[in-house]
Amino acid sequence: MVGIVIVSHGAMANGMLDAARMIVGEQEGMLAVSLEEMEDVEGLIEKIAAAVEKVDTGDGVLVLVDVFGASPFNASARLTLSRDKMDVITGMNLPMLLELAIHRQGSNLDELVKIALEAGTSSIKTLSETLKSK
Amino acid sequence: MPVFHVRMDNRLIHGQILVSWNSAFKIDHIIVTNDKVANDPLQVTLLKAVAPLNAKVSVLTIKDCVDYCNSPEAEKENIFILAKYPEDGLALLEAGLKIPVLNLGNQAFVRGSQKISNTVFLTESGVKALKKIHEMGIRITCRMMPNDPDTEYWPTIEKTLPQWAKSD
Repeated sequence: MVGIVIVSHGAMANGMLDAARMIVGEQEGMLAVSLEEMEDVEGLIEKIAAAVEKVDTGDGVLVLVDVFGASPFNASARLTLSRDKMDVITGMNLPMLLELAIHRQGSNLDELVKIALEAGTSSIKTLSETLKSK
Repeated sequence: MPVFHVRMDNRLIHGQILVSWNSAFKIDHIIVTNDKVANDPLQVTLLKAVAPLNAKVSVLTIKDCVDYCNSPEAEKENIFILAKYPEDGLALLEAGLKIPVLNLGNQAFVRGSQKISNTVFLTESGVKALKKIHEMGIRITCRMMPNDPDTEYWPTIEKTLPQWAKSD
């Protein structure tokens, strides 16, 4: 099963794990890493690498981060480029994480990346537009 | 003035730069400058990959950065320089960059550094570099966000880390 690591500024990553637990239950091989205010990218890379080691069972690891180009992304990207079977998705949201949790059994890394992108983008809607299209 | 801001930030291009600074100013060109980073192809690739739509990103050694900023090509641009450490800020000045203010951004904890605030930890070598910058008559500010006050920051450094800030 593909491992999942969630990386964010501050407490968002832990909050997403907590929220996912309420909806789809306790997850194996899924860890959160936070960038603290006083941390540098090198230190963050070490924390992400440790989490990746823990969740990797040989099927690879998908890293979810909050903002493209920000430190959680930069650190994850530097780690990914020096390693096999790993990818990074930015702009993470809870619907994306829920779909990943549901489809992790039996999907490989490439399939999960597609599922995450589709779920992450198609889940963004406004009430007004939704009501109009009914 | 082609170079309108120099920030010493060991996280280089990150969220605060791309979101807050990039929306507060019209930036055409972000130059990341640090000799080690400029010679690391992996970091150069990533830094260029995160360039915002409005600005190009270059990753240059200190010398190449100053040469570029003093060239006619730079005249047409609004350049935001991101140096990694205070030592890089001093090196820019010593290499001939003309700028009245250097801004201290994030300086994360590294081995041997001392805390000044939650976002600024300085090493002895960093404090010595900032002291030289101050003695050159350059104003040092410490603004994480564009709307932080641009007060002179050297007195805070001197007061917090007097063991490193005092004269030899």
